[in-house]
Parts: sequence; C-alpha cells; structure tokens
Amino acid sequence: MNGEPIEAVKNGVQLMISSLRQNPQAIETAFISIITFDSAARQLVPLTDLASFQVPDIRVTGTTALGEALRLTATCIDNEVARTTMEQKGDWKPLVFLMTDGMPTDDWQSGLAEFRKRKTALTVACAAGPKADTGVLKQVTDNVVRLDTADTHTIGKFFTWVSASIGVSSTKIEHSGKEVAGLDELPPPPSELNIVV
Amino acid sequence: MDPKLYIEKLFEVKQMPVAPHQAALFEEFCSNASYLEAATDILRKQQLLMDAWSLNNRINDIKRQQVMIPNGTVGKVYGAQLDTTGWGWQDLVLLELEGLEAIGLAYDPETQQIRGIPEQNGDFKLKLKFKVTGEAEDAVPNEKLIPLIINPDPKSLWKTTPSDNTDPFWKADETAVSAPLGDRHIVAASKRGRSHANTGAFRDDDFAFAHFATSGWSVVAVSDGAGSAKFSRQGSRIACDTVVQYLGNKAEGGDFAELDTLLEAYNTNTGTDLQKKISLHIYQALGGAAQQAYKEIEAFAKEQGAGIRDFHATLIFALVKKYKSGYAVLTFGVGDCPIGLISKDRSAVHLMNKLDVGEFGGGTRFITMPEIFRDDLSGRFGFKFVEDFTALMLMTDGIYDPKFEVEANLEQVSKWDGFLRDLEGDNADLARVNLDADNPDIATELSVWMDFWSPGNHDDRTLVIIF
Repeated sequence: MNGEPIEAVKNGVQLMISSLRQNPQAIETAFISIITFDSAARQLVPLTDLASFQVPDIRVTGTTALGEALRLTATCIDNEVARTTMEQKGDWKPLVFLMTDGMPTDDWQSGLAEFRKRKTALTVACAAGPKADTGVLKQVTDNVVRLDTADTHTIGKFFTWVSASIGVSSTKIEHSGKEVAGLDELPPPPSELNIVV
Repeated sequence: MDPKLYIEKLFEVKQMPVAPHQAALFEEFCSNASYLEAATDILRKQQLLMDAWSLNNRINDIKRQQVMIPNGTVGKVYGAQLDTTGWGWQDLVLLELEGLEAIGLAYDPETQQIRGIPEQNGDFKLKLKFKVTGEAEDAVPNEKLIPLIINPDPKSLWKTTPSDNTDPFWKADETAVSAPLGDRHIVAASKRGRSHANTGAFRDDDFAFAHFATSGWSVVAVSDGAGSAKFSRQGSRIACDTVVQYLGNKAEGGDFAELDTLLEAYNTNTGTDLQKKISLHIYQALGGAAQQAYKEIEAFAKEQGAGIRDFHATLIFALVKKYKSGYAVLTFGVGDCPIGLISKDRSAVHLMNKLDVGEFGGGTRFITMPEIFRDDLSGRFGFKFVEDFTALMLMTDGIYDPKFEVEANLEQVSKWDGFLRDLEGDNADLARVNLDADNPDIATELSVWMDFWSPGNHDDRTLVIIF
C-alpha cells in the first residue's frame, strides 16, 4: 500500500483517534496498538492508552506478510492483554481491525491458526480496493467489509465506523459460551454437600 | 585548499593541464598576486555555497523531523521537556515556542520546558522558531510546527440523558431507601452508571428486601443486569422480587421451622450431623429461591416472545435472622457481586460468596443460565452464625470494581475497613454516610456518596448495607 491509500489510512487513523478522544468511556479505558505489515510485520506502537497515544508515521511498501501479521498480533495479545486473576483485573477482550489491499504473500494459514487461539471480542477485516482477497479474509473472520476503492473518502468512512465500534461501552458478557436449554427441577444435592463453614 | 593547487586543478578540469615542460611557466604565473587572490576568492565563494546548502538541508531536515511531546489533559498539571539532545538538536538555538498561551501553557526558554494547566482540548500545532549554528545573526528565524494533543477532561464529556420512562421495562434512573430490618437497619441505593446516563440507557441493576415479622426472617437481594442483554433491567428486577417473595412465603408459611430449631441448637452444638442438616435446608430453601428466579424470568421471557438470554442478570441474596445467641446469615450468589459480613469489632470480614469471573474483563455468569443449576450448586451457598456484626454488605461490580479492584482484596479485612472509612467520609469528596438508624438522611447520604469519581468505572452502582 502506498500513495493515496496509505495517506488515507494515516488520515483515517488520525481522525479515529481524535474522535475517540471525545468519547468519555474510550478516553478512560481504551488502549490502542498499531501493527503494520508489508514484507514483514512489526508493531509500530505498543498497546498505549488513548490519552497518551500519538499517531506514528505509517509507511508500508513491498509484499503482504499477512500470516506474520496475524502471528505477531497473537503474540502481542499474549504479552499485553491482561487476564483476570485473584490479584489482577483482566482487560476487556481486544477488538482487532485488519486492513489490507493485497493478496497474502506468505504462509498465512499457519499465522491464522495461531491468531485463532486468541480470544477477541470482535475481529473485523477490511479489504481495501479491488486487489484484496475477501476469500482469504473470510477465513480470518466472519466480519469482512470491502471498500471498492481505496480512496480518502471510503477509507475515511471505514475509520469512522471503526471508531464507533471501539466507542461502544464495554458490557458484561457470558464467559462460558455453552448453551443449555430447558430446566425443570433443581437437581438433587450432591451427597457430599457441606455448606457450613 | 591551496590557491595554487586550485589553479592547477582548474586547468586540469578545463582540459588545459600543466604539462611538465610548463612547470617553470606555471610557477611564474602563480607568483602573480592578483591571480592567487582570484583563486582564493573563488574558493571562499565555493565554501559559502556549500555552507549555505548544508545549512538549508539541515533546516529542512529539522522541519521534517517527527518529534513528539507528551499529550496533556485539560485541567491536569502539564510538564514536558523538549528533548533537544534526543532529537539531535545540539546545533539549534531555540528562540520561541508560539501557540501555547491560547491553550493555557507557557514555554520557559531557560529550561526548554512547557508548563501549565491546559484549558482547551484539541490537536494543536505549536510554532517553534529556531536558528541553526552558522546562520547570520540577522537571518529570519526558521519555523517548525510541533503537534501537541490536549485531551478533554473526561469528566466534562459525560452527559446525563434521562432514560425513556414510557418503556414497558422502565425503572427509575436512581433510587435510595432506608428502613428498619428486624432489630437492625437497612440502607440501600442503586443508580445508573455514567456510561448508561451518557447514552440515555436504563439502569440495569436492582435490589429488593423485606422483613417478615411473624417468622423473624429478613431477605435482601441484589442483581446486576448484563449490559449486553436488551431486557436485563427487567431480568434483575424479576430476580430480586422473586427471591424476596419466594423466601418470604416460605418463612411465613412455616417452612423454616425445622431450620429454626437447627439454627437455635447450632451455637451450642456444631456437630457434623447438625451441619449436614443445616446445609441441606440451605440448599433446598436458597437453591429453590434461585431456581424460582430462573423460572419466573424464563416464563416472562416466553410471554414476551423473547429469549431468556435477553434477561441475563447476576443475583446475590441473603437471609438473615436473629436468634437468642446471635445472627444466622445464609447466602447464595451467581455472578461477580460480592457479599461481605464485617465482624462486630471490624477486625474480621467474611466473604460469603465466590465470584464468577472470566479470563477477560466483564466475563461472568448469570442466574438466567440453565447450566448454573446443572453444575454443582454447593459452592454458591454461604452460611455464617455470628453473635453480632457491624455490617452485612451486598454490592454490584459498579461498587466492587472501583473500591476493591480485584477479588483477592475482598478477603482482606483492611480493604473492608478502608471501605467503611470511605463511607464514613474518608474520600476525595468528603461525602459521608452516617450509619445511624436514627439518621433521617441516610439514604440520601448513601446516594450522594455513590457519585464518587473513579476513572474508567462508570457501571451501574448498587450498595445495600444492613447494620
């Protein structure tokens, strides 16, 4: 990605950050990290609280190491997103927004396998422009958006939408995920029932 | 460069090299002072051009260089040091930094620091005027734009939008009550979190309590509706009301007579057999109440043509009764809301329930999940018999998160003592709740106290204290 599209992404990120800063929930709780990928993936900005965040100079050229990007994202989630323990408050599950304008040029499936092992609240993939492969992105996540043109206006709109998604307040969720239907009677108490302390 | 050497090189470049047989002639040529002066002059001008060019380059590089200074926040003391060494600006003379006054900040050229308290938020561009070593004294200063981000004060961004009171499941955005509860007293307050107030959303928390005079039992319930479920405000209401009504009916209907006998004997005889019998009663009575809450919500959901998931809510409740030798406290809990029993001398706390917390923020379990009843329920009950107590507290995570932060702190009496002192006025707002049964303003005081500010903690808040 270069020329107008990358300029548009830069402006989009800038716009997104400015608008998020006006959201009271986001400014007190949101953390942002930026990972770029071309011939290689690298974390441009580590997970940083929104109030301190500054948009870096985003530059990408060359090929599309999508697999490496997914693997790096997984590693960053491991290192930077806190899990709940008795002594530590867990972070909310991360939201991942992936944007690409080309076909992956590396072994993306192994990177995807690694990424899939991490829990995200939402992963959105954006195919920017006609050369991006939505088929590949569909395997990364069900939430794929396509921008027919990678111009300033369209990319700007995408980032406006991303801001709105980040801005929604964190909500309580089920952590088990399993679904059991129907319930009639209280099951008999276990034989070793002992509540008394 | 030596002017003579320059002349020789010049002739070479111009393809008129000095041939060996011309050496003497060249020597004579160079003895002419005016020629040497001309060469010196050319050399000087060349140097001037090169110096000017590299100076221009340097200035251009500085202008393009991305430098970052830390972001500020409106109303918060700001201090930033210009990192001229780190930026490689040893050859720069900084003259002025413009654009700070409008924000409420000032630049100190001596220390190269920006200081002050920002008054305005936005993305600002400061204008730095500078000179590079080598520039003429009277040269016009160069200008560089440096971005400075000032965040708004989060407090100023929260809006209070009333919820839609025509909604069928509407409930008041906040409520606070106090009442006698048997020989004790209860004060309870519940209010919508800022995150809900900001968007005009409903309060999802709820509570209910009652004292049943004939049997002497008191019941108190607290529930936190899931933010992700659309009718959770109704789920939390049904859960609380059902539990109080169900247990009230059982108590007044004489169903707890046998339990009464067992509890009366408990203080003198704590044998295993007695404990087992009490456990079974607790399991059936409190487990039955929890299940009734599930059933009521399920039936209501069906009636509404909605799924029970739409009513997801946590639930904690306690049954309390005074006996001759002390108080029996029986509890049940699903979700991430704690119940704490603080001893008479405040030297001990008993956390009555284990919280359901997930790996990530916000993950928990709800009374509306059928698998709660399929899994072993026994860990969800609590029982304690005490001679007396300072307070029995039930709260939602809107209170627990900011005040206790992590589960481990709920086991620490020092944290609970700090919490009590906080209620007694040891806080930034000097908000005080006078826990005195004769205090007519106690409910209002609790409600005011509950407005405390805690960054990032803007969930609904509910706190019930029996004292």
